[in-house]
Amino acid sequence: MDLIETFGAKVGALSEAKPEKARKLLAAGFQANGLKNKLASKRASQSDKMLFQTVNKAMVNCLTKPQGNVMVSLFTPCEMLHPLGLHPYSCEGFSSYLSGSKAEQLYLHQAEDIGIPASLCSYHKVFIGAAQMGLMPKPRFILSTSLACDANQLTFRYLSEFYGVPHFSIDVPFEPSPQAVQYVADQLREMGKFIARQTGQPIDENQLAQTVARSQRTMRLFQQGLQKRAGKQILSDLTSELLRTAAFHFLLGLPEVEAYARQLAREIETAPPATGKQLVWIHTTPYWITPLRALFSRTARVQIAACDMSYEGIVDADPAKPYEAMAKRLVYSPFNGPVERRIQRALEMAKTVDADGMVWFCHWGCKMTLGGARLGKKAFEEAGLPTLLLDGDSCDRGFGGEGQAATRVEAFLEVLEGLA
Amino acid sequence: MSITYHVCKYTPVELLTALGGECALLDEAPDVFDLSDQVAHPNLCGFGKSVIQAVMAGHVKEVVLVNCCDTIRRTYDILKEFGNLDFLYLLDILHGKSGCSVDHAKHQLMDLAEAYGRYKGTQFDKNAFFAAFAPTTPRTDPHIAVIGAKMGTHLFSLVEETMPLPVENLTCASNRSVVAPEDQAEFAALIEAYARQLLGQLPCMRMTDNTARKQLFHAPGLEGVVYHTLQFCDYYGFEYAGLRDHLSVPLLKIESDGTTQSREQLRTRLDAFAEGFATQKGATTMDKHGYFAGIDSGSATTDVVILDQDKNIVAKVILPTGAGASNGAQRALEQALQQAGLTEKDLTATVTTGYGRGVIQTGDKSVTEITCHAKGAHFLNPAIRSVIDIGGQDSKAIKVEPDGSVSNFVMNDKCAAGTGRFLEMMARTLEISLEDISTIGLKWKEEITISSMCTVFADSEVVSLVAQNKALPDIVHGLNQSVATRAAALFRRIGGAHPCMMTGGVSRNKGVVGAIEEKIGQPLYIHPDAQLCGALGAALFALEMP
Repeated sequence: MDLIETFGAKVGALSEAKPEKARKLLAAGFQANGLKNKLASKRASQSDKMLFQTVNKAMVNCLTKPQGNVMVSLFTPCEMLHPLGLHPYSCEGFSSYLSGSKAEQLYLHQAEDIGIPASLCSYHKVFIGAAQMGLMPKPRFILSTSLACDANQLTFRYLSEFYGVPHFSIDVPFEPSPQAVQYVADQLREMGKFIARQTGQPIDENQLAQTVARSQRTMRLFQQGLQKRAGKQILSDLTSELLRTAAFHFLLGLPEVEAYARQLAREIETAPPATGKQLVWIHTTPYWITPLRALFSRTARVQIAACDMSYEGIVDADPAKPYEAMAKRLVYSPFNGPVERRIQRALEMAKTVDADGMVWFCHWGCKMTLGGARLGKKAFEEAGLPTLLLDGDSCDRGFGGEGQAATRVEAFLEVLEGLA
Repeated sequence: MSITYHVCKYTPVELLTALGGECALLDEAPDVFDLSDQVAHPNLCGFGKSVIQAVMAGHVKEVVLVNCCDTIRRTYDILKEFGNLDFLYLLDILHGKSGCSVDHAKHQLMDLAEAYGRYKGTQFDKNAFFAAFAPTTPRTDPHIAVIGAKMGTHLFSLVEETMPLPVENLTCASNRSVVAPEDQAEFAALIEAYARQLLGQLPCMRMTDNTARKQLFHAPGLEGVVYHTLQFCDYYGFEYAGLRDHLSVPLLKIESDGTTQSREQLRTRLDAFAEGFATQKGATTMDKHGYFAGIDSGSATTDVVILDQDKNIVAKVILPTGAGASNGAQRALEQALQQAGLTEKDLTATVTTGYGRGVIQTGDKSVTEITCHAKGAHFLNPAIRSVIDIGGQDSKAIKVEPDGSVSNFVMNDKCAAGTGRFLEMMARTLEISLEDISTIGLKWKEEITISSMCTVFADSEVVSLVAQNKALPDIVHGLNQSVATRAAALFRRIGGAHPCMMTGGVSRNKGVVGAIEEKIGQPLYIHPDAQLCGALGAALFALEMP
């Protein structure tokens, strides 16, 4: 049993009898991991370190500062929370951290034991199980959106009832239109009033506009970096893609995320030419699969040049109208509407980074993603981009098939390299 | 005329009818999803796959979908690309019923009316619109309700066939209750009023506020609930999770995959649930004479127990089932009769149980193995309150009442993981016997976790552990833990109480027994006749037959 496995087992064992001790141990583990990354991680780039520190801090906060905790779905705009000193965290972020600590199995089984469907997304199952076992502290309130999947409609309603805390849900119309933006903007205004009621602090409109402006700048910096990325070698890993998913969703608007995007853009400017293959990855990355992690871990052979889950693309909006700007981001997200929109966005990304191939990762239980897989493959291949459909689970190592997944990706790489 | 098919109760069928359409709920359960699997991922839910299958088979040409869930959204995308339909439409219904949601629905309905009228070449007929409303009257007589994810006629007919009371289908698309709006002079005003009525129905689980669904579970005359979930549909599993410990009437959860395939497996659960309604006690044994046989036809073995009128076991036989359940049962019964020195004429009654019970010609009655296991366990030890049964093909947990009847049960028969077959396969991979695998893990030193819950992947994991030179006892211990985790989960799901008896072939595996005991926190009661529990229960039912 390795060190992380022992740690995960210890957290799990404590969870059953003494959940508060399990929480403390987990927080200590996250903190130690942060320190290790700061001091000992020599191979990671400066931007990856900044990204890790920002997300790690958010995860430590959610365990150690419950008075500021706000549970959110991944796509919920959180710019109203940051200026109030509140700590948003999503189920994808927290469950990924538990999976990284090799502690996800107990919570996953707990959720299934209480009747939660086995086919539900494992991020959500782990999150519900951890809540049930008292690992997470009670949040002050919960915010969610109907975007991007059904699981949000279920998990957060369930947890609101479980914890007995207020819940505000934003309903995003399916078809993008100016009317839909207005409808969502009105709901976001209501959400602001809801937050003010829960915290006793009104939303400062100027601060909100500044935070939304920072979000816009952050995305623009990333977009600029992406545009210069074609033909460059940026060594990173599978974990960074997941961390970026957190940074560009519930942590968007924080100065640290803007600083990260600026640093990354700088690194791209000075990066050496790429010698390996550049992939566009659809959905989250299964970083727990050891041979895959090794394959993508700062190696020249292959890099993920863009991932549609970690960066959805920029939507031009006026930050002086912050509610409309946040609403536009939701309504015009490629994850909203027919899958054709997501496919087109992926094709744009592939063109921007001059990708060699596409991987469409069918995360277990994610019907909105796996349901579009065949259509994505058809469209990508018609555009001349070889595509791998890969079934797996990004969070649950009980899914198994590590060797099988690695074989598929390596064989695909061999095709791209002209070996096959 | 071509039929316009729909799949959701929020579909505006009255509006489509008023525009000259003939509407029907798509109600198909194919044997397999072969056509769907050619264009869609197999892990979409059976609801969506049945729509794709029907369209790809070519006998559906018009479909109006509602933005119900992720599967239906992607079904729409797939049909748009591959469906070759004459008319396909996706209606966006929001998740609330506030003014904004009504306004959004109104515009969606007006857009649909325009597109559908153009397609049909018709105008809105107000009389046809009002005539299309079909008021529904809920049952109030003693009945059983089927609630949850959509259940089509194919499966519903099985529920009707097995239940002892009338059954009402209140699943997803079947509990439509749209009331006609008040007449309005303007079309837009009428559609707005109609939108309000559509959204005002008893909500489905996708709606943000679904508290009104509570009335489903407190309906007058409700005697029991069969809760249906569909593989890969997550909505209704959540409702079940909230219900299972709070419902005041008996509750059975069944899951199907939308095909005709699972019908027989589900029959066992439904029969067992129905047995709970009808008392199995029958006549007393005081005036019974002769001998009473129970035959348990399992996937691996066929077991027979013969009792005399005083409930003494006079014969017990365990034989491999072999190729045919019927032949296996006949052979085992003949051997048992021989053992007792009896002939078939000496048998007053015979009851069959197990997976093969339906095909065995011998026998006066059949009772599910769930009810029989509880009965047998109660006979062997009246203090028993739960049974964990791990057989060759399935594993199950049963909660037993003080009188030996069943109060709750769950079964796992979807895959080999957590069953005797799993251990058999792993023993083969490790090149050890079943006897060895039952004890070798007791000498473990290093904790190894077999993470894969899939038998095929677990097999790969074991091969890789062997390649890493991990010690055999440690690997076997990891396998025992894996089986025990599943069994303990079943135990928890029924709200398992102690003392718990373990039955089935795996009860002879000391390693697994120890691992389960550790996980449920109490010793298991294992009787020397544990493997005969099902047959014993069946023999007891034979003795109690009127």
